[in-house]
Amino acid sequence: MSPIESLLLTCGAVGILVILGVIASVISVSARHFFASSWSIAVYTWREGMRKKTLIGFLILSILVIFGSSFMTAFLAQTTIGDLESDVDLKLIKDICVTAISIFGVLITIFISASVVPNEIENKVIYTVLSKPVRRFGYLLGKFIGVQLIVIVNLALMGGLFFIALYFKQRMWPTLLLWSILLTYFQFLIVSAFTFAISCAASSAVLPTIAGLFIFITGNLTEYLKEVYNRGGQSGAWFDEAIRKLAYGLYQILPNLQNFSLKDEILYLQVNDPPRDVMIPNLIAYGLLFALAGYIVAYVVFWRREL
Amino acid sequence: MITCPQPTAERNACPDAGRGLVASLVLLLLVALLWAVAAGQGLRVRRLREAEMFYRWILSEATGSRVFDRGPYDLSVPGTEQMMDSALLKSIEKATDPVLPEVALTDQDVDAQGQPLSKLVRLVRDGTNDRLLWQLARGPVLQQQREDFFHYLRKKQLETVASVFDPNAVYAGEGGANVSIGNIFFGFRKIAANFVWLQVDKYYHQGMMHRMVPLMNTCVALDPHFVDAYLLGAWHLAYNATAHMIDTPEPLKKWYPKYKARLGDKELYYYMGIDFLKDGIFKNPRNYKLYFDLGFGIYKTKLQDYANAVLYLSEAIRHRHDKWVPRQLYQCLELNGQYEEALAGWERYLKENPDNLVAPRFILRNKGLMKERAAEQAQSRAEETEDPLAAQAARVESEDLENEARAIWKEMNEPFAEARLLRLDALKCIQEKRYVEAIAYLEHARWESSTFFDEATDLIIQTKQKAGIPLSKSEAMAVIRKEEAEKYEKLDQEQLEQDEREAAARAKPSATE
Amino acid sequence: MAAVIETKKLCKVYESALKGQDVRALNNVDLSIESGEIFAYLGPNGSGKTTTIKLLLGLIFPTSGEMRIMGSTKIGRPAIRKKIGYLPEGAYYPDFLRGEEVLEFYGELYGLGGKDLRKRLGAVLDTVGMTHARKRLIRGYSKGMRQRIGLAQALLSNPEILILDEPTTGLDPIARKEIRDILVRLRDEGKTLLISSHELLEVEMISNRIGILYGGVLQTCGTISELLTNRDVTVEIERVSPEALAAFRAAGVEPEDTYEQKSLLRLPEFVSLYAAMDICRSHNVTVIAVKPRRETLEELFVRVVGKAQDEERKGALR
Repeated sequence: MSPIESLLLTCGAVGILVILGVIASVISVSARHFFASSWSIAVYTWREGMRKKTLIGFLILSILVIFGSSFMTAFLAQTTIGDLESDVDLKLIKDICVTAISIFGVLITIFISASVVPNEIENKVIYTVLSKPVRRFGYLLGKFIGVQLIVIVNLALMGGLFFIALYFKQRMWPTLLLWSILLTYFQFLIVSAFTFAISCAASSAVLPTIAGLFIFITGNLTEYLKEVYNRGGQSGAWFDEAIRKLAYGLYQILPNLQNFSLKDEILYLQVNDPPRDVMIPNLIAYGLLFALAGYIVAYVVFWRREL
Repeated sequence: MITCPQPTAERNACPDAGRGLVASLVLLLLVALLWAVAAGQGLRVRRLREAEMFYRWILSEATGSRVFDRGPYDLSVPGTEQMMDSALLKSIEKATDPVLPEVALTDQDVDAQGQPLSKLVRLVRDGTNDRLLWQLARGPVLQQQREDFFHYLRKKQLETVASVFDPNAVYAGEGGANVSIGNIFFGFRKIAANFVWLQVDKYYHQGMMHRMVPLMNTCVALDPHFVDAYLLGAWHLAYNATAHMIDTPEPLKKWYPKYKARLGDKELYYYMGIDFLKDGIFKNPRNYKLYFDLGFGIYKTKLQDYANAVLYLSEAIRHRHDKWVPRQLYQCLELNGQYEEALAGWERYLKENPDNLVAPRFILRNKGLMKERAAEQAQSRAEETEDPLAAQAARVESEDLENEARAIWKEMNEPFAEARLLRLDALKCIQEKRYVEAIAYLEHARWESSTFFDEATDLIIQTKQKAGIPLSKSEAMAVIRKEEAEKYEKLDQEQLEQDEREAAARAKPSATE
Repeated sequence: MAAVIETKKLCKVYESALKGQDVRALNNVDLSIESGEIFAYLGPNGSGKTTTIKLLLGLIFPTSGEMRIMGSTKIGRPAIRKKIGYLPEGAYYPDFLRGEEVLEFYGELYGLGGKDLRKRLGAVLDTVGMTHARKRLIRGYSKGMRQRIGLAQALLSNPEILILDEPTTGLDPIARKEIRDILVRLRDEGKTLLISSHELLEVEMISNRIGILYGGVLQTCGTISELLTNRDVTVEIERVSPEALAAFRAAGVEPEDTYEQKSLLRLPEFVSLYAAMDICRSHNVTVIAVKPRRETLEELFVRVVGKAQDEERKGALR
């Protein structure tokens, strides 16, 4: 399956889901109210979030990096052997941009996910909202969707710029980049969901922001637990064995953000790489399931929370 | 507000409390359930990643066993005797044999020992069957082998594993270098590779080749899919590092059992470039550029080893490649004396690219060369045969073929053809013992076409020796060098045989263990 | 009349992670608010007013006790919440939105949409007198205007119950008057209002019933006329001579606010008006006015809270 076909297929699947959702909400009036109010909360969150100064700052920084990456290659300028030089050039730009999108994107994700609920508690808007006929589940859903809208819009902005920059650099539509950005989003989704869950228990945005960074870093280190498992247990002492077992258990259940390392590699893979086509849908499902678990944790934290 | 000193009895009186507890439990259960499902998906993803690692290993290993002649290992490298790569591949070949579709066996499909290649190795020579291999790699057929693979991986008994999805798998087999490189950079190791490369580039401009080499290795360890690092790195090694070196005199060259050759300084760097590119091919077996640079950049241009150049260039065209790649292959085929293949290739190329200007010329050139060779063969037949009638017939045939060749060269009307014509004239003169005339023709010819220079020079020396004309100083030197080279070639052959005997002797006790 | 809001033995303890640091914010509060009245919920800062309101809105959960709103105990249900309008204290409204956009957002939360929402929006803006500023950004609003937008969002679903937390705090006198007028009008429309405040003068002007909360305990509760029963009489006099003053003192009346021969006599219960008049007549003091005087809400508040504080102190000493 070519990337474009898969893209069309994904769009089709999303389209069908949206249509089903619309039909379902039309059928059930109460459900319609539920979705409508969640949706207006989401849109409100989005409109408010897009005005955050930190977020705009990160966005500007990432845009600077994306455009600035072309200048990085000035260090390579003297190497000239045919088109090889421009290939290294291109790789440098690609890597810097993908990394910049990753870093700034995850910072935006964490800041937004960590702050929407605590901020609302701080400025008391939550009282006016939750005293309306809105269930807490719907409120959280709206907030979460709003966060995702912000993340998606930001990612689309950064990714779109990168896409255009890359097009002008190599005069070829970098379709694989779209997959990379899609996977990046699902990685962020996991970080976002768990940060959001923590923010639902916090009264200010500082703690959940730190926790979000922690989640991102440790999520990337989950792979290391496997190493502990492989190397542990050599001394034969019971605690060594216990640590080994613990590492293995944690490795099994913790979300592993390194699974998404495909997003960095995808730009360099051969055109027809069979494992990639299988991995992408599986990683999307992985991201969605962990995000769902994270969201339910958020609800568990929030449903009896005293405001 | 009043602080509440005593624990309140009526706290439990709240009617909501009990229901809240049940709901909390249900929610927690839901969380546990969802988490379990997510972890299950995580397990699935992990299995896929493992299968992917296995798949890429099979690809690399199959490519290696076909292209690099990874027969018996070089046992002088410590730890090699524990390596299980070949054994595991054998086991995989055996397991997959019944399920794979039939593939035609060509006469090229033999390994170094002359055994026919397995179906698996033949199937994955280009990208068309990757999907099938991927299904096998994650399917039940290879379950046991997959488990073995991870067992050996943990025991560091595999040489090289490169996974796109698992950065830690890179160099997993190489004892000391098993650092979780990916973990150090929180997944941003690609960018680290780029910065290392910038440093390599800096050292290149400062002319510090000795500093570049370890950094280049670091760079590709960080990002094994950095193909351009392999290409540029090998180019640095084979070209830039050797640019200012002088040729090592034959007696000072050293024997390297790893390369099975006696090498001077320059040649050592060529071989380092080859190793670097081979490592790149292992990690990116589907990238034509690496094969191309190996075949063209080093084997053809630097080592004049046309047989290997043909081997790697014909690998290059199996994968998605640029237009110039097959042209280079056909030229190497011609240089390697495989005129028929070169001709077929050029004809195919012309059919695919009707606007190409060089293809028709190369078609004529190969046709001419084939005629010349046929003429020479007929000539030698005529000289060998005892039957005068047959000899006469052969001579006539040779004459006809030569005339055809001349017709082709005349039609071509370019320096190369001109040189070939002069060469034919010179040969005729030699046959008629008009040596001085022949030498004059050859002198003319070798300045006419640069590709003909060496061949013409050799012919001049031979002619002079035959005619008893004294050699010039440089020609005498060339003769001495040639004799010396032949002497060392013989020594090399003996050394090689001795190495093989020793290796066999060392392999025996370990086999009986 | 049926009680619209009713609480029985409502308790709320804020649990703390540290042992012995739990805070009892409400203790056995029994409230009963009738339909169509303005109930003023009074108390000093930290007495538990906002806690009660949050409990009624389901934002926090009671430790024990019972709450009923319009007869239902399931106060978190959207059906109940639809009937309540709530104006929190010092809430923020996103200043990048226009007045009507904020209201549209809240309207959508009520499930309103399209024509209904437009109609309702117009009516509500009319009620709070913000029609002229509906298209302006909240950023440019004055404090009074923001408060009115807050009131408007509470009124959007045309609720039967309005819960207003400090609706006039921090406003200038004119804005206060206007808000007050709106509240009275709403009461007249038949809505039930629960107003938490410490602006006693204002509360006295508009409320029907009051409840005074201190230390989480409802100290007193009743209609204004029930609570402010203590009546006495003041006599305004002029040209007070020192002899007259001495005579008043001898009779047990202390003239107050003596200024340029003018003075004010507050008669205790045991001194009759006639006796005072006699003294005036005999000392040739001019009587300007004789006024009956009702206890102010402020005085009641200070008295009730002061008593509670005394008891608390005693309890602490014991």
